[in-house]
Amino acid sequence: MKRIIVALACVFVCASFAFAASPKDTFVFESYGTVRTLDPACAYDNVSHQRIMNIYESLIFFDGSATDKFAPVLATEVPTVKNGGIRDGGKTYEFKIRKGVKFHNGNDLTAEDVAYSLKRHMIVDQEGGPMWMMLEAVAGVPSTRKDGKIIDGIFEKIDKSVEVKGDSVIIHLPQPFPPLIAVLAYSYGGVIIDKEWTVENGGWDGNIANAAKYNGPAFGSEPLQKIVNGTGPYKMLKWAPSNEFIFQRNENYWGEKPELKTAIVRYNKEWSSRKLALQNGDADRVIVDAQYLADVENMDNVKLFSVPQLSVTGAMFCQKINPEANPNIGSGKLDGEGIPTDFFSDIHVRRAFMHAFDRALYSEDVWNNQVVIPTTPNAKGLPYYKEEPVYAYDLEKAAEEMKQAWDGKVWEKGFKMVITHNTGNAQREAAALMLAENIMSLNPKFKIEVRNVDWKDYTIAYRKFMYPIFIIGWGADYPDPDNFLTTFMTSTGVYGKFMSYKNPEVDKLAKSARFEIDSEKRREAYYRLQDIWYEDAPGLMIYQKVDHFVYRANIDGFVPHPMLDHEWESFKLLKKN
Amino acid sequence: MTAYIIRRLIFLVFVLFGVSILIFGLLSTFSPERRAAAYVTTPQQAENIPLIIKEYGLDKPIYVQYGKWVQQVAKGNLGWSLVAARPVAQAFWNYFPTTLELNLFASPIVVILGIWLGTMAGVHRDSVFDHGTRIAAIVGWSLPTFLFALILLMVFYGYFNLFPPGILSSELSLWVANDPTEFIRYTGMYTIDGMLNGRFDITLNALSHLVLPVITQVIVVVALLMRVMRSGMIEEMSKDYIITAQAKGADFKTIYTKHAKPNALIPVITVAGQLVALSMEGSIAVEVVFNRQGMGWWLAESATQLDMPVLMCVCMFAGLVFVISNLIIDIMYAYIDPRIRLH
Repeated sequence: MKRIIVALACVFVCASFAFAASPKDTFVFESYGTVRTLDPACAYDNVSHQRIMNIYESLIFFDGSATDKFAPVLATEVPTVKNGGIRDGGKTYEFKIRKGVKFHNGNDLTAEDVAYSLKRHMIVDQEGGPMWMMLEAVAGVPSTRKDGKIIDGIFEKIDKSVEVKGDSVIIHLPQPFPPLIAVLAYSYGGVIIDKEWTVENGGWDGNIANAAKYNGPAFGSEPLQKIVNGTGPYKMLKWAPSNEFIFQRNENYWGEKPELKTAIVRYNKEWSSRKLALQNGDADRVIVDAQYLADVENMDNVKLFSVPQLSVTGAMFCQKINPEANPNIGSGKLDGEGIPTDFFSDIHVRRAFMHAFDRALYSEDVWNNQVVIPTTPNAKGLPYYKEEPVYAYDLEKAAEEMKQAWDGKVWEKGFKMVITHNTGNAQREAAALMLAENIMSLNPKFKIEVRNVDWKDYTIAYRKFMYPIFIIGWGADYPDPDNFLTTFMTSTGVYGKFMSYKNPEVDKLAKSARFEIDSEKRREAYYRLQDIWYEDAPGLMIYQKVDHFVYRANIDGFVPHPMLDHEWESFKLLKKN
Repeated sequence: MTAYIIRRLIFLVFVLFGVSILIFGLLSTFSPERRAAAYVTTPQQAENIPLIIKEYGLDKPIYVQYGKWVQQVAKGNLGWSLVAARPVAQAFWNYFPTTLELNLFASPIVVILGIWLGTMAGVHRDSVFDHGTRIAAIVGWSLPTFLFALILLMVFYGYFNLFPPGILSSELSLWVANDPTEFIRYTGMYTIDGMLNGRFDITLNALSHLVLPVITQVIVVVALLMRVMRSGMIEEMSKDYIITAQAKGADFKTIYTKHAKPNALIPVITVAGQLVALSMEGSIAVEVVFNRQGMGWWLAESATQLDMPVLMCVCMFAGLVFVISNLIIDIMYAYIDPRIRLH
């Protein structure tokens, strides 16, 4: 018996040692993101995007690390006003389609496939999906439905907006939409699929009269949810959800042949396990969250790239809080036991909070100075970025502002309120605590409690105007100030409306800049919007996310990009020495 | 006996019905917005919460929603798992084999080791062995599984580069993915499928990935079983029939193996049955630390994300496992104790 046990132990040990490091021509990436769908029309998260963009391709993609320069992919050139690709005052875009490209199933890529793809994605327009961007550009509305019903004539509008002319595809817009190129570069609308294959697999049949049948599929019922057929450098070999996703090199790829034959993205939620996999060479790259950075900084044989992302987080002041059964505003009055629902409508209150945030200390203590503290929602790295002045950390000034607030009543009576942040986010918690402590230090009558709430509950509650201050982040859908300044500042913006912040000048400027093709005029508008952010102080920007990309030392080829977060990996660029 | 089994299986239908109403009722206490948020992963998508509520009828009365769910289940549609990005039934067969495989190896060890250690501790009461197992039981039972698993991982994988986490090595996993016709996934368990396909290297590699999870599972679970067995043995060894046997000159080993042990096993069977049934739901700590996504991981993720179809399915599965395990326990009672007759 003992001999058997010893023999078995030896075999286990050998079996364990036999495949210690990842194979030479294989790249192993351990991450904790899960894929929701592989249908380019429906995927709206960075994990699905990573899988899709290694298998499929778009007409154009970002040029290196630039956010405002693009390189042709399935198009032969990036349309510009200069080369005639953008004309009619920015209302017509022409893409010349590359020849000699084949899909993974052997079908040729044609202009017809491109036109079909663009139309099909907009027709599908799943609830909660990414197609609002293309629809805004092409149809002037964010959805194909209104109040749950399909908008009359919307599909015909989509059909007429995309046209095939010889080897080119032409997109007609109702009005200029400068961010269109950036939208098409990402997977949120510009991914090209094979028409014949899609129809065979239950996708839109190409007849616009039947479009309604394919509109708004339930989650999971989209026909391309788990099947793929792209033109990209890799094919999907296997997708075992929450386990592993295996890519295999496309040997007939039209472009430069990728060096790595296979790539495995393995799900691994536990940091210790990921760290050991990196250390032992079983993984060539692992996702490292900010709090674990110190664990890898001194690790042998690894490389670290810290990449600021187009993703900002701020504490938003709600100027019209919901009073119904709201424990976050105490009595709901300025009586020392609560705050009124419009507490933050007084700019002195907002400025006091701005002066109470110690940016330098926050950066050092919480982020070890590995962070960008933005001045406005227009993240650093975006076009038309402007370094605005900041409300310096100064508790005396904060006290002065508080003394002026609400005709001195705030200082006299004091107040009580709650600042919330979503559970598990240490950086947001630290910001909330810093604000609370500094404000409370101004006057013993100021009482602020910090609470954490599950992210999903948090999302629901701020949308019901329940929080006096909600701390929230925004990642770019496309690298354009429109995506940030409209979101945070306009009265209908995704966050602006829940801050009840309304400035007619902001609304007007944001709308005109969105459709303006003259870059100087856009610059003026976006500069002014950033100035207004400083003047009105509707919210306090806390940090711009920095993601960390950690590789084994023998891996080369990583190209950082602020749009592409730590879930991103382009295998075709990588080399394993 | 057959009539008894049939009666219990009919009873199972009512249990599942009761469980489904209970879970559905509990989940319906969450607001429609909260349930719609399950479909949302980004602030951008949160804009669509009202539309998602409408589309999925989350604002309809609870009996309408329950009726719709029952109707779908009757058609064989258990719903869509957002967590797994697969239909629930398909996702179940992705995750269940991983949990089953772990238990297939851990459970026999737990039962055999627990009974043996408990018997020895009971027979040699207050000996060094008894005290040693008692301390081990306390440590095993009170040590957080997560911590114990991490320690094992760091020592074996971190220092010795042995017994890696996961299910299969990258190289073999690639080979299996490349040749799906060469390697048929009969059971979804690599240890078994390796043997069925004649690929013993795969079986061995899968086993090497199982070593640490099995040790963790065994150490954590065996303690309770061992203590129950010990108590049973002490109680039986002090009964009159043991004294009679001793008076008749029976040797000590025969007394505790042939007389005391079968009687002491009755409570152990109950506990062992429940432990094995419980472990079929998976262990979140073992699965997360050793990167083996199974039922425990799936349930935990679904609970935090309020993935309702999964919660319904897994809770009903748990009900099914418990009813069947209780049935098996009852049958084993009758087998071990001739005084018990099932009617």
